[in-house]
Amino acid sequence: MSSRKGVGLAAFDRSRLNSAQYASHGSTLRSTNAQALETQLSVFRSLLQQFATTHAKDIRSNPTFRAQFARMCAAIGVDPLASSNTSSGGGNSVWAQLLGRSVNDFYFELAVRVVEVCGETRGENGGLIEVRKVREGLMRGRMEGGGEITEDDILRAVGTLKPLGSAYSIVRVGSKPYIRSVPKELNMDQSAVLEAVQVLGYVSVSMLMANLRWARARAQTALEDLVGEGMLWVDKQSEEWEYWSPGFMMES
Amino acid sequence: TTSPGPFPFPREYFFPPFFTRQTNLTTHHAQLTKWSALVLSYCRHHRIFKLPLSPASTTTGTSTTADKPISATPGEDLFYSPKINRRLSLVDTREVINFLKKDGRAEYVAGGDKEGDVVWIYWRTPEEWATLVEGWVEETGQKGSVLTLYELTEGEGTRGTEFHGMDSELLQKALSVLVKRGKAQIFGQEDSQGVKFF
Repeated sequence: MSSRKGVGLAAFDRSRLNSAQYASHGSTLRSTNAQALETQLSVFRSLLQQFATTHAKDIRSNPTFRAQFARMCAAIGVDPLASSNTSSGGGNSVWAQLLGRSVNDFYFELAVRVVEVCGETRGENGGLIEVRKVREGLMRGRMEGGGEITEDDILRAVGTLKPLGSAYSIVRVGSKPYIRSVPKELNMDQSAVLEAVQVLGYVSVSMLMANLRWARARAQTALEDLVGEGMLWVDKQSEEWEYWSPGFMMES
Repeated sequence: TTSPGPFPFPREYFFPPFFTRQTNLTTHHAQLTKWSALVLSYCRHHRIFKLPLSPASTTTGTSTTADKPISATPGEDLFYSPKINRRLSLVDTREVINFLKKDGRAEYVAGGDKEGDVVWIYWRTPEEWATLVEGWVEETGQKGSVLTLYELTEGEGTRGTEFHGMDSELLQKALSVLVKRGKAQIFGQEDSQGVKFF
């Protein structure tokens, strides 16, 4: 009769009743909390969107901010360069949409410009161009207040071109990065010659023979290969023919 | 007439291989394209209408350390780059001219196929000059007026225009285009040729 607390079986029954009450209360709580959580998330989302839009200018103009932003995204498991129409579930695609937009746009536009520069210069360099020269070229053509572009940015931008297949890739000659926009891969001798060319901007057969200890035929073959690929220009008005890197013409 | 100042040469002008005919086809094409652009902008800068291909004061085969006069004859330092001591051979120069010819930007002065030593460099073609003159006629309300060729190139009335001081032979070519367009009529003889604009 009395529903007051007691011991024994009645208490057990009561506890079961309470559990049920707690359970229902708990689920009420959960649903209330879920509601609150969702409200919170949607508020958070719009704040995030605002952040991305407000700081788009900073992302474009400040390479340090940009790099930090990219690192932050990586730390929380968000790829800012991920396609915004990805169907992968969870917060990832949403975040990418909110945060990634401005970063995405920046690297996409940069990749387009890099492709343009490669196309314009392919005739004179055989499809191999130093990243440093690309950067110089892009900075020169930049409008006032366009902000700085780093070599790191260019490397990332080229990375986004991977879906295009092996058309664009980064190759290293010595310690310097180049963009290769033709399928032709360099063999060891050709790479060695290009590395030697970096020192003075040109080499001759004698220079290769002396510095790399190559036989004349080997040096000649490598040089002719590179000329055949359009990657070196030849000067015949010197005492000995000199083979130059076309990058010289892109210097400021 | 005011001097336009020194011409800002592009990087390739200081690139030794630029003066050697490249054997690779693609490279050679890029080379011809750059040379053509250089010839046009150089001539535009100096307002050279007729370009001598082998300048009168040819340097000797041996390199000298004699300083070149600062005010070199325009055209001399186009195919010869003194800083790097490289020269584009006459044969290779003709190749550049032929490349320009294909674009309608050059013509041998002697006319026909005979390859002389002087070339018209059309940094502005006769057609483009014609349009320029036509525009000036419109702007200044000169339709119906009659002018002598001399007035057009040397008269006070045309001071400040692009065609003031231009080569009179080239102006004649331009006016012939206007005649074809039905915008002008040329009459008179040699020294007193006149043109009426419609």
